[in-house]
Amino acid sequence: MPRAERPGTPEACAELLRACADAGRTVRVRGGGTKSDQGARPETDVVLETGGLDGIVDHVPEDLTVTVRAGTSVAGLRDALASHGQFLPLDPPHVARGATVGGVVAANSNGFGRYRYGSVRDLLLGIRAALPDGTIARAGGRVVKNVAGYDLNKLFVGSFGTLGVVVEATFKILPLPPVSRAASATFGSAAGAFGAADALVRTSLRPTAVVVERSGPGRWRLVVAAAGESAPVERAMTELGRVAASHAGTVEAIADPETALGPLRELLDRSAGGAVLRASLPLATQIAFADAAVAADPGARLVADAASGIVQVHLPDESAARRAADALLASARVLGGSARMERTVNGELDARSVPEPGGAFLMRRLKDAFDPRGILEPARTVAG
Amino acid sequence: MTAAPAIVRAGLRGAELAGALRDLLGADKVLWAREDLLLYEYDGAIDIATPDAVVLPNETADVAKLARFCAEHAVPLVPRGAGTGLSGGAIPVEGGVVISFARMSRILEIDVPNLRAVVQPGLVNLHLSTATAPSGLYFVPDPSSQKACTLGGNVAENSGGPHTLAYGVTTNHVTGLELVLSDGTIVRVGGKALEYDGYDLVGTFVGSEGTLGIVTEITVKLTPLPEDKRTLMAAFPTMDDASNTVSAIIGAGIVPSAIEMMDQLSTQAVEASVGAGYPLDAGGILLVEVDGVRDGLDDLLERIEAICRTSHATQLRVATTALERDKLWAGRKGAFAAMGRLASDYYVQDGVIPRTKLPQVLRHVIEVGERYDLRIANVFHAGDGNLHPLIMFDGSKGPAEVERVKEAGREILEMCIEVGGSITGEHGVGMEKNCYMPLQYSPVDMAVMRRVKDAFDPLGLANPGKVFPTPGKCKEFSLNAAR
Repeated sequence: MPRAERPGTPEACAELLRACADAGRTVRVRGGGTKSDQGARPETDVVLETGGLDGIVDHVPEDLTVTVRAGTSVAGLRDALASHGQFLPLDPPHVARGATVGGVVAANSNGFGRYRYGSVRDLLLGIRAALPDGTIARAGGRVVKNVAGYDLNKLFVGSFGTLGVVVEATFKILPLPPVSRAASATFGSAAGAFGAADALVRTSLRPTAVVVERSGPGRWRLVVAAAGESAPVERAMTELGRVAASHAGTVEAIADPETALGPLRELLDRSAGGAVLRASLPLATQIAFADAAVAADPGARLVADAASGIVQVHLPDESAARRAADALLASARVLGGSARMERTVNGELDARSVPEPGGAFLMRRLKDAFDPRGILEPARTVAG
Repeated sequence: MTAAPAIVRAGLRGAELAGALRDLLGADKVLWAREDLLLYEYDGAIDIATPDAVVLPNETADVAKLARFCAEHAVPLVPRGAGTGLSGGAIPVEGGVVISFARMSRILEIDVPNLRAVVQPGLVNLHLSTATAPSGLYFVPDPSSQKACTLGGNVAENSGGPHTLAYGVTTNHVTGLELVLSDGTIVRVGGKALEYDGYDLVGTFVGSEGTLGIVTEITVKLTPLPEDKRTLMAAFPTMDDASNTVSAIIGAGIVPSAIEMMDQLSTQAVEASVGAGYPLDAGGILLVEVDGVRDGLDDLLERIEAICRTSHATQLRVATTALERDKLWAGRKGAFAAMGRLASDYYVQDGVIPRTKLPQVLRHVIEVGERYDLRIANVFHAGDGNLHPLIMFDGSKGPAEVERVKEAGREILEMCIEVGGSITGEHGVGMEKNCYMPLQYSPVDMAVMRRVKDAFDPLGLANPGKVFPTPGKCKEFSLNAAR
């Protein structure tokens, strides 16, 4: 059984890492524990829980920036900012299950708002990270522009704790939009739904969500949300009606955007059994990928952030899941994107199906430079 | 007078190097005559040094071949776009080869369905948006030098521009890169999709100022052109009033696509040079632009105008035609050039501060100018808190005057750090501010950056003498302000 450690300060966290590195003890980093399905996770000697690193360090509402400790829950941060009429423009999954700020950074966990507001990498201004040599390094800062030195924020976003433990993060935040609306349209084909989505993306409407869902055989639903001042929001809804009609779709109003978007965001949690795969694709290839998903498993459920080319697929047929997943991993690559498993049926995938990304040797050099003993999250990412 | 490299290390140099490069790449790709090299000894900043040779590659293979050769012979590699950089990034401070991308300036692909373009590093920034405009698309980052500066330079410096307030800087618009490392390895990272497995090497590379390797191909996002925009010029009695207006606009939940500020010295210089129609008697002016769908833009503009009036605006003028808008922007974008009317030389700083500190820091800038008896003009990206104090001086007074100017600049940067800001928002560190890095970062922070440098460039030949403080040149600065 791994030993649980819960440092209460960034310094204690760094000290713990140093002790583990000295003793050659391996470490898993755990925030809310909501990303447990992602990446290989052999048992480690220590589980470092970030829950003790909690709370807002600095919030200057007038500057629209907030600095928080990594173990702070996204939900808690949301509440605190909302009391000032502001929000962190990230809508990652697993918030209700306790996703933390540090976990969101480490897993590069984004929602549907990334097209409008940017993703973690775009909104993160600075971090402090505890490293296996016991030091705490700072990257970036608390201002919205900063090109002094290397942008190490980018290196840590999506690094899954393999380089160090993010102990503090500073984000750009925004005032809460006064108006928020959503509507959906249903189509008979992937081409119809993605075609309508694409027409909206090619405008300056800047919707806050453009999501395509395959909700059943021959049933493709497009959910569009917009937020901001009422006039542009109304216009977005009008345009949805227009493009839906031209793609033979039928529009339906949605009373509360979150009731429609919430379940789509949580496909991983809400789908039982089978495999779940997540692809990042060039925008125009989503239709081909969606068709490939249906061909691989006729029962496939699919949720696409169509404005950003992020497609999540649930393959419910367990007997065929391995073959279907392999086909889709290859398909994503052929289409110029990438894909990874978020849930597998029987452990590891065929290594052939996950070729190394460009620059993998640089990633390994970076991993070695930050964590020479290899104690942090062993085998979690391609960098080892 | 030719400027010799400031730092000399062992390795092949001079005529012998130039001769070897001619044999390696062909004489048509190498410049070595003294009069040719003179053009490459300076950029938009104030430091100079002469390269041993200049190489003009036609393709990535040339760059890789060159890098392999230079790795074998310990020759520094300094990439150069248009030479408009404002931190000495393209200056071969340790000698070696300057790689000019003048011949790698093509658009390789405009991928309208995927909203991407693939370009060579020598492509001029503005040429990309001009080429994509018929498809209703543009490349967002628009540095003031966009008529000359290149995409490769933009990637190296992570350049910004007036319109990055709402839409982000270069790093937010680059999804893929082809790189040549200093050992000649060609690496492709990222692509047309937003995410790929493993670490974000694209994001790590953008803004690394040529110190991690050489970019030979760039994949960028294209953005739909806004349906409409509104541009407002607002004049205020004082810079404090203008500053407070910036905070009030943002605080009201409005994120314009641009908020630019200019002080009286700047507007007077601009009026004499461009004739943008700025009032000459205002203490400060703001240019505010909002864009997007047409619906609601006028309401938004009215709200901004009301905020300006509350903050004592003396004049509000909205551009009613594209021509008028272009004229208002021509003044802003031509401001640096217009300073030539006020002084023979200027030194531009690039500090960033939290927006709410604008009044305090601008007062400090004025105070520094008075104390050093130097005229300082301010023309900058107020919405981002990104200052550009232009310190005017007469370079013919000699090196002591330049040192005095740099001292004044350092005092301004120290104040930026003291209020929680950064020494550079978009111009880069280069060799101009590398000694100031310890103001902002601890030795631990910089040691971590050094690990990244060593992972990409273990030979230390990629643009040496930049970003990191160099022991020979940098005096120790106090960290009191920073920590």
